[in-house]
Amino acid sequence: MALLRASGEYTGDDYDLSAVLGDSGEDTGIPHADVLIRLAETAIKFDDEATDAARDAVIERMGEAALVDAAAIAANFNAIDRVADAIGIPLEDEKAAISADFRAELGIDEFGRASLPAAAE
Amino acid sequence: MSSLSFDAAPLPVRDDIAEALPQVWARIGQPGTWLTARERVAVAAESRNARYCQLCAERKDALSPYAVQGEHDSLGKLPDDKVELVHKMMTDPGRIAGHWFEALKDGGLPETEYVEIVGVIACTVAIDTFCRGIGMAPPPLPEPQDGAPSHETVGEEHLNRGLAFAPTLDPFVDGPLQKEFFPAGPPTAAHIRRALSSVPDTQRDFWRIANVLYMNGLQMRDFSTEYRAITHAQIELVAGRVSAINQCVY
Repeated sequence: MALLRASGEYTGDDYDLSAVLGDSGEDTGIPHADVLIRLAETAIKFDDEATDAARDAVIERMGEAALVDAAAIAANFNAIDRVADAIGIPLEDEKAAISADFRAELGIDEFGRASLPAAAE
Repeated sequence: MSSLSFDAAPLPVRDDIAEALPQVWARIGQPGTWLTARERVAVAAESRNARYCQLCAERKDALSPYAVQGEHDSLGKLPDDKVELVHKMMTDPGRIAGHWFEALKDGGLPETEYVEIVGVIACTVAIDTFCRGIGMAPPPLPEPQDGAPSHETVGEEHLNRGLAFAPTLDPFVDGPLQKEFFPAGPPTAAHIRRALSSVPDTQRDFWRIANVLYMNGLQMRDFSTEYRAITHAQIELVAGRVSAINQCVY
């Protein structure tokens, strides 16, 4: 999410970071956020029927190459999240510092294991 | 020969993905560093089976997952401690705790095997999720190949035991693996890039996939150029939504 905010700062856009917590995506400021979020949600839950519809929507609005890249990102983070949690990887100090405000605001610190530097076991 | 190919994919797949994922999928069917090929394929199979486990469902719903006792619904190809690892990582990764890792270790699961299993699960999850995302069935399991694990060790003096539950390669110690895995030097060695590094081939396999599915470190922060068919913002939106569902802070 720090990179999402950083990309918005670069382009001068003010993105609604709460979209990642399950917002519909309609008011995020990110084009086609609604269909991308739907694809991410359904693909990682292995809900094939819902994924079919989400996939069609992404292709219709954004094209096949966008669908491939969106599926690739969902796949990567569905795996890398598990690696981070299974190995017990903490956030880097500098990343923890720059994300502290929105983590607290959005309730991300309440996730199952707060992998913050001070919380590393 | 891999049992995964994108030649008949329902839509064109980038060349780097079409090359990397089948290679790593075939690697799961080969002897690893600490696990036999048969064990690695069993881990991949069990990772697919875990979402049907009743015990895992009950633990996922519980306020304290560690208080719920019972037996996993497993395929019966792995010992209990490895089934516990696979199921936990698949069904409730956000609540994995250090004491749980220590209990597995104290029960006899070597941390080397733990790390390799984590890597095999991660590669399986990534490949299965990508296939489903583009409308392809996940590939058949690879056929286990004969041979013994390599038992490649990195040396205790190269390990950092203070960063995470499991040991990681210490980027601040000079060595060939550090140069390979952290070519820009210790200050830029993101913690996640160190996660699987205590088992080098596991590190190589996972990042072979991750680098093509996502972007490399320089591309991630280069907002002046779009390297994919979706923008940086769209990429990080998808990444953030997936991580939120997985309850992953990192």
